[in-house]
Amino acid sequence: MHKKMMFSFPDEVLEHVFSFIQSDKDRNSVSMVCKSWYEIERWCRRKVFVGNCYSVSPRMVIRRFPEFRSIELKGKPHFADFNLVPDGWGGYVFPWIAEMAGAFPWLEEIKLKRMVVTDESLELIAKSFKNFKVLVLSSCEGFSTDGLAAIAASCKNLKELDLRDCEVDDLSGHWLSHFPDTVSLVSLNISCLGSDEVSFSALERLVGRCTNLRTLRLNRAVPLDKIANILRRAPHLVEFGTGTYAADLRPDVYSDLAGAFSSCKELKSLSGFWDLVPAYLPAIYPACSKLTSLNLSYATIQSPDLIKLLSQCPNLQRLLVLDYIEDSGLEALASTCKDLQELRVFPSDPFGAEPNVSLTERGLVAVSSGCPKLQSVLYFCRRMSNEALVTIAKNCPNFTRFRLCIIEPRTADYLTLEPLDVGFGAIVQYCKDLQRLSLSGLLTDRVFEYIGTYAKKLEMLSVAFAGDSDLGLHHVLSGCESLRKLEIRDCPFGDKALLANAAKLDTMRSLWMSSCAVSFGACKLLGQKMPRLNVEVIDERGPPDSRPESCPVDKLYIYRTVAGPRFDMPPFVWTMEDDPSLQLS
Amino acid sequence: MELRLGLALPTPNIIKGFDLDNHKPKETGGLGAWNKPSKRSFEQAFGNFKEECKAKTLLLWSGQPNEEEDHKDQTKTTFSTIDENDAEEVDQVMGWPPIKTWRKKIFRQQHRVGRTEYNRVADEENGGSVYVKVKMEGVAITRKIDIRLYHSYQTLTNSLITIFTKDRKCADDDHTRYTLTYQDKEGDWLIAGDIPWQSFIKNVQRLEIVKKWG
Repeated sequence: MHKKMMFSFPDEVLEHVFSFIQSDKDRNSVSMVCKSWYEIERWCRRKVFVGNCYSVSPRMVIRRFPEFRSIELKGKPHFADFNLVPDGWGGYVFPWIAEMAGAFPWLEEIKLKRMVVTDESLELIAKSFKNFKVLVLSSCEGFSTDGLAAIAASCKNLKELDLRDCEVDDLSGHWLSHFPDTVSLVSLNISCLGSDEVSFSALERLVGRCTNLRTLRLNRAVPLDKIANILRRAPHLVEFGTGTYAADLRPDVYSDLAGAFSSCKELKSLSGFWDLVPAYLPAIYPACSKLTSLNLSYATIQSPDLIKLLSQCPNLQRLLVLDYIEDSGLEALASTCKDLQELRVFPSDPFGAEPNVSLTERGLVAVSSGCPKLQSVLYFCRRMSNEALVTIAKNCPNFTRFRLCIIEPRTADYLTLEPLDVGFGAIVQYCKDLQRLSLSGLLTDRVFEYIGTYAKKLEMLSVAFAGDSDLGLHHVLSGCESLRKLEIRDCPFGDKALLANAAKLDTMRSLWMSSCAVSFGACKLLGQKMPRLNVEVIDERGPPDSRPESCPVDKLYIYRTVAGPRFDMPPFVWTMEDDPSLQLS
Repeated sequence: MELRLGLALPTPNIIKGFDLDNHKPKETGGLGAWNKPSKRSFEQAFGNFKEECKAKTLLLWSGQPNEEEDHKDQTKTTFSTIDENDAEEVDQVMGWPPIKTWRKKIFRQQHRVGRTEYNRVADEENGGSVYVKVKMEGVAITRKIDIRLYHSYQTLTNSLITIFTKDRKCADDDHTRYTLTYQDKEGDWLIAGDIPWQSFIKNVQRLEIVKKWG
């Protein structure tokens, strides 16, 4: 065996080449080429992404990547967004911060999703990282404005503070005043804050001195008549979220506002618009022609006003809206916004028994037909047909994300009363690049057969109230080659498919099953046989071994890990033990 | 004994299933095997247990939403009015439709207040309803009342007595004395009645009826 010298570049050359490789997946591939590439790559990886905070320990990450500057962590399973994960489940960031605080004074960026972040963690961040620049907390909870005050006061180089969708304990609006005079934020998102004690003068002053501010998302408490002043202090804003967009109609307030919006020549994205009063909407018209992203999902604006607005936005790429838009509004959208790539339609009355708006499958069909670049859809509606789904699939073979939620579980095709298997089958068949799919409506095992057969690029699948038997689950686990995340609730899937496809779970990030038919015995077996999986049973009824082994568990969360079982579980979570004597050889 | 749980990429012909009862691999021939009547017996076997266990789950869930609502709403102000009666959530399927919690709250607020413009900035006297949560010590369910319906502390307390008389457990007798307390905008808990009524309704975030101390 002789070395081929022509293939050994100096390390610096390889490092330089690797620096152009940003994507996590590619970096992982690079590191597996050979031992020396592994070594070089690990020393120059600057951004670390950990999709499941329990899949690896902080110490392991630091040991492998001694020079990273940015870390992204995700905690709770996705279904936590819908209250299916009980409080106290886990996802604490503190151990990570503590480990990094000691080893890494030069850390610059922390991005967290669905994690529990305490004030203590925030204070530790503020104290430990002298060059800290970016804090993005997405759907996190556990902290208060005290923690934010610590960050504001100590992180002199802070550029980005984004608290999207967080639950924050609002103790005092004065945390904003803790920012020093020298801070120069580029991005500030406080839209989740509830308190009406945000100090407006502190906010105005802060905005005024952050001359590089490009993103500003205010919270609902900021009244309409304060917006103009703020906008005038930040004429280079690219992304802006208003507060309450409601006030008595006053000409001076209106013209002030309109003037301010027209002075922001670089605005591309607008959001906020709580309690929107249509009379004030034309104030944003000057900005509309350049808008690429519009989030009106908090605005109870009716279809005619929406149509008028959308006709001003020909360059729109992303729209979030309530179902007040109705089919007529979506038809107008389809004819005006030819660049549309992403559409999300949320229900205005999700718990009402009867439809309160005229939004049906027709709206989505219209958009699929009129917008050739449509890639990502989230659509809540009350009726659907196979025919419509097939049309949509044929119109949009470029879909990467398709999430349909028919509000009433197990709703059949309203025309034929058949299951919607064929419709979703068409989606996976025509949309060859589909990465994410959420199912709803009446579905049998057949839809899973289609998915297993066609959805080869599918990475994430969400299933609820669907299927007839284990065969359904078996199709998915055995057929979907790219599957990373599978979340299932209220389906008649049990032990057989899970155990028969146990090895598949090693290739996935995680599997969630709640209100299904997986027995405690099967969970134990899986835990024993699969050393690289954590099999966690969540059951608030009490210890699973106080019931027969054949009794189904309430909730099951299985994820692959190299860190072994975790030790921060609450009393209602049990990890199934590894059994070394029964391991596969 | 070497046990095989299954292949990562099963060949079309053979799938090794795992039989819980016998703890040894069972060769079921082909995908067609899944259509065997054994599917039904599987369902039968599980049917009873599932029903039993499901019933227990439902009972448990009926206790949950109230607690959770309370916890999450702590930071809400009178500005963002509180949503529907907690009791309604019990009838709905947990976590369905799949809408994030904070979005659900916004929908409910808007639904309550109606599509009429809710204007906080202008004349508050003509503004919409302002709902505050009322909790009574010893009672599991939190109530919500529209504070604007009352014009004095007397009318408020009379109404609360009526509402909570139904809820009180039998263990508490009529001789137990209660105090009405409220949380103001600064987050402090104070005894109701000290400040003028008009100031009170502008400040009150939530109410709690506690057993009188001493």
